[in-house]
Amino acid sequence: MEENVVALSSPRELIEAVQRGSRPALKRLYELESPRLYGIALRMLRRPDLAADTVQDVFVQIWQRAQSFSAERGNAEAWLTSIVRYRAIDQLRKRGRETLSDDPTLGDRAEEPDILERLDDRRLGASLKRCLDGLDENQRRCVVLAFVDGLSHSDIAARLPAPLGSVKSWVRRGLISLRSCLQA
Amino acid sequence: MIPSDTEELQALAGEYVLGTLEPEAAREVEAALGANAPLRAAVIFWEERLYPLSSLAAAAPPPAETWPNIEARLGTAPRAGVWRSLGFWRGATAAAAAIAACLALYIALAPAPTAPSFVAILRAPQQERAAWVATANRGGGMLIRAVATNSAPADRAFELWAIAPGASQPRSLGLIPPDGRLELGIIPAALREGGALAISIEPKGGSPTGQPTGPVVFTGELVRSN
Repeated sequence: MEENVVALSSPRELIEAVQRGSRPALKRLYELESPRLYGIALRMLRRPDLAADTVQDVFVQIWQRAQSFSAERGNAEAWLTSIVRYRAIDQLRKRGRETLSDDPTLGDRAEEPDILERLDDRRLGASLKRCLDGLDENQRRCVVLAFVDGLSHSDIAARLPAPLGSVKSWVRRGLISLRSCLQA
Repeated sequence: MIPSDTEELQALAGEYVLGTLEPEAAREVEAALGANAPLRAAVIFWEERLYPLSSLAAAAPPPAETWPNIEARLGTAPRAGVWRSLGFWRGATAAAAAIAACLALYIALAPAPTAPSFVAILRAPQQERAAWVATANRGGGMLIRAVATNSAPADRAFELWAIAPGASQPRSLGLIPPDGRLELGIIPAALREGGALAISIEPKGGSPTGQPTGPVVFTGELVRSN
């Protein structure tokens, strides 16, 4: 009996149905999550064709490897986000950013540090926002540029601009401070 | 080297999730994820705690042909959920297949009496580095050995599984001793036609159910070497 997947509303329930082999659940998951995941890929890759390829690869991978979503994980959306980001990062590192910046409308604009203030706490999570606020500005910009835009150390160094060694140290110290704040 | 110091481990996991590691270091993390539970927990910590930042990217509908393209690709893809997904461990990358093919060629050129007829390269999901190599010989046996440092978590053991072509369930080939080397006098005849191997993490005495109960941490396909 095919499950009534329309009644399954959360990504977690849908992934669990995909684990049982439900193709309609995969389609429903696509309908719910693909705009968000495509947006993440487009922001990192800045080319619609590559972002669409990434989303394709990701949903094929979800179908084939749904079992790797396990009870160790609390958050299905975070799992989906990670799959898209790793795939996009692979593409970025393979191609190098230079070949990707051919569409000026997608912009190569710097993430302004005050963007965090424009997000309400509910979306960002109160503790993450508070802990990011606690970093110094360079550390915060490095973490955001790497996570959201997929920039490497040297990309960030070129973007800020700042010496490569400083960027590496800001990323690392930013992560160490973030962790102790998030765990507090 | 994956550090054991907590702060170092957390920073490494954080950089892996951010994507700022050099490709070689990132591959090393991926290779260690299967067997290193603290590292896996640290990566999941960062994936879940940083995930809200992804809302800074504006959502946008993907091009209309994206879903039809996915469906077309699924037409030939293995269905999830058969063996806690056969596809999951058949998902060998082209690179892993190429490594297996090279190794198979090497072995085919080796002196005939000891030449194995099959070889499998096992790797952790989503990474290309070989973790185990299994060679099946003409005498009907098989040797599997670790080619990287792989250790099961404390109080757990690695169990080797095989799935023959067309089979719906894996079959246990036994527990792998802590020295990372298991020699089998005989393997199921059906495996000579191909199939795949997998390693899961199980209780010390082996899976209590006869089917994998813990996570499948390494997989690879058997490739003909002659």
